[in-house]
Amino acid sequence: METDALRPMTEIQVAQTRAFVDSLNEECQTYWDMVEVGDVLERELHITPELVILYADGVEDYNPWYEGWKMNTWYVDGDSPFGGAIVPPMLVSHFVLSVQFDHTKPFAIGSIHTFHDSQILAPIPVGATVRIRAEAVDKFEKRGRRYVRHEVTVTDAETGTVYFTETRDILSL
Amino acid sequence: MPITRDTPVGYELVGVKKKAAIQLMGSRVWGRFNPNHWDPVYAAETGLKAPIQTGEMSSAYLAEMCVNHFGASFFTGARMVCRYIASISTNEVIVTHGVVTEKTSKGDGYRFKVDIWAENEAGEKKTVGFVEADVEV
Repeated sequence: METDALRPMTEIQVAQTRAFVDSLNEECQTYWDMVEVGDVLERELHITPELVILYADGVEDYNPWYEGWKMNTWYVDGDSPFGGAIVPPMLVSHFVLSVQFDHTKPFAIGSIHTFHDSQILAPIPVGATVRIRAEAVDKFEKRGRRYVRHEVTVTDAETGTVYFTETRDILSL
Repeated sequence: MPITRDTPVGYELVGVKKKAAIQLMGSRVWGRFNPNHWDPVYAAETGLKAPIQTGEMSSAYLAEMCVNHFGASFFTGARMVCRYIASISTNEVIVTHGVVTEKTSKGDGYRFKVDIWAENEAGEKKTVGFVEADVEV
């Protein structure tokens, strides 16, 4: 399979792509070995209007409730049943990945997100800063495969409002 | 078609249909950090026939379907459970589905349970699970 097998590229684009992929190579260990039960990682995420647009456009979800930014007018309050623009219900779940994998350590290899049980408790206003907390609560084997389970809580960094909780499993080599 | 207090068990939600486009799979927010999501060379080296989507993209598709039917109720006290049972490869067309399986009295309304899944055009299931949401409670 060639670099440009799935989309058209010139030779400079192919070279840039190969250079980027090569830059990701680093010494790493499996997630199973990287994480201990009880490990807690936390980070804050400012959910800007542009971030919401990038997320929603990637899955072609054009619900106007998520628009705190529009072309031509740029920043807008937005409109939803809760007043201003709100964040798509599963957006914060996607960003848990960045919290689970401690960004100060080499990226874990062979990790696959396999399961989530998510509670969407309250709408998150576009522009909010949330604190994402992920705790490794179990490591278990099932049918010869190794899993790490996390309990996740997403709260408003300013008010403490609990927006979202989640149990999620990562399959590790 | 919004789900209301009159929606019966057995009601089938109208899904959304998406193509696993390589450009979207490899966008910075979604999969750029892992070449398995967008680079055919890297994917082949790790044993994949083609780059695969992040599972969370199919969760987003399913959530879009649920917002279309539950509206604001899907943002207040809803539950969404998904298991990624098969990979979605580049260029597969994915359709989401949902069927109301339970309807339980709660307050002045009901809590609905809906089985959900995402499958390709051959009917191969990729993501399965269920959601729960309150309606007119």
